[in-house]
Amino acid sequence: MTLRALPLLALVVAPVPALAHHVGAYTPQDNELTTNFKQVKFSVQAGKFEVARRLFEAGALRAQMRAKAATLPPGLESGTRAALQAGDAPEVERRLMIFFAALARDLALEAGRQLVDARLAPEARATAGPRFLEAIWRYYNLIDFAVAMRDDKTSVAMRLAFDEAEGYAKAAAPAGAGLSDALRRIAQILTHLIDTSSTFARRNP
Amino acid sequence: MSDAWRLPPLAAVLVAVVLIVCAEAGGASMVRFRVELTRWARGVMLAHPEVHGLVGVRDVDERILDEALVKFDAGLRLFHLHAEGMGLVILATTAVAATLARGRRVRGVMIVLLTAGGAGYPLGYLLWSWLIPYHGIERGKSIAEWFVWMPFGGATIVALWWLAGLVVLRLARR
Repeated sequence: MTLRALPLLALVVAPVPALAHHVGAYTPQDNELTTNFKQVKFSVQAGKFEVARRLFEAGALRAQMRAKAATLPPGLESGTRAALQAGDAPEVERRLMIFFAALARDLALEAGRQLVDARLAPEARATAGPRFLEAIWRYYNLIDFAVAMRDDKTSVAMRLAFDEAEGYAKAAAPAGAGLSDALRRIAQILTHLIDTSSTFARRNP
Repeated sequence: MSDAWRLPPLAAVLVAVVLIVCAEAGGASMVRFRVELTRWARGVMLAHPEVHGLVGVRDVDERILDEALVKFDAGLRLFHLHAEGMGLVILATTAVAATLARGRRVRGVMIVLLTAGGAGYPLGYLLWSWLIPYHGIERGKSIAEWFVWMPFGGATIVALWWLAGLVVLRLARR
């Protein structure tokens, strides 16, 4: 009886390893903005300002700064170019920090809008939250060191708000009020960062 | 019984050879039509935003599309690799089965399992690639798993264990 059952058992158990097929792994790539940011940043760090200026002028950063000029502090693009020409590394870093903070803030605001958009299906709202957070972090993560060097309280506040938002995003009902509140807080922190950094720039041209 | 190797049935050899041809043609087509394939997949994905959870914001959507396109490409590559490999596996294992399995029925079932399983399994990767733009990465994978990888991969694994047992039995009887 036992011997007869063995082939049957084998038939049931044998296909299970077929589930463990290899389907490859995905490593997120840099987009054109983060790539250009790294190119400019590393050129500046190496003291190659002429290279950094050329990369900035021909790259996605400048194009995006121009496209989003209406939502950015005035003169951000021209100021970045001037800082590169002057070989002023801290100023380049500060202006790029403002730019990526603005990108992350806009994403947080858009995420907040979509999470309460009744026209979207609940599933769409549920999946949108984590995806927006991922995009926000991709940009913010680039500038967190620069933020912490200038204003460590803002850096800590941002990290706490992001952790809180991630917690809500992983919850069973991610499109709830908690996530919306956390995203609003992220937007407020980044707006404050942009305002204070831009004010500082105006005081110290 | 003689020690000479026996050829597997010609039908099994044909399936193995056709599978290897498909692998080579698939590999070449992947390179030749890479741009067209990517454009097609991207177009279908953009036409089904709800499936992929696209939110209409470039900074978010590009990452989602990129992952799906990487997996779409991976599916094609894995089909190429598995079809090449499984073609050779069919040739080798059916030759062993044809040589060592004595009973006609046992030999026949074993060869059918090895041939059908080996030929069907790589097609799961092709199916997964095709399903990704329409159903997303995970749902496409589930469909390929239940309809192709599980039954065909399972058939191959069952037949290979059976074959292994047969070889052990032969060793023991010597």
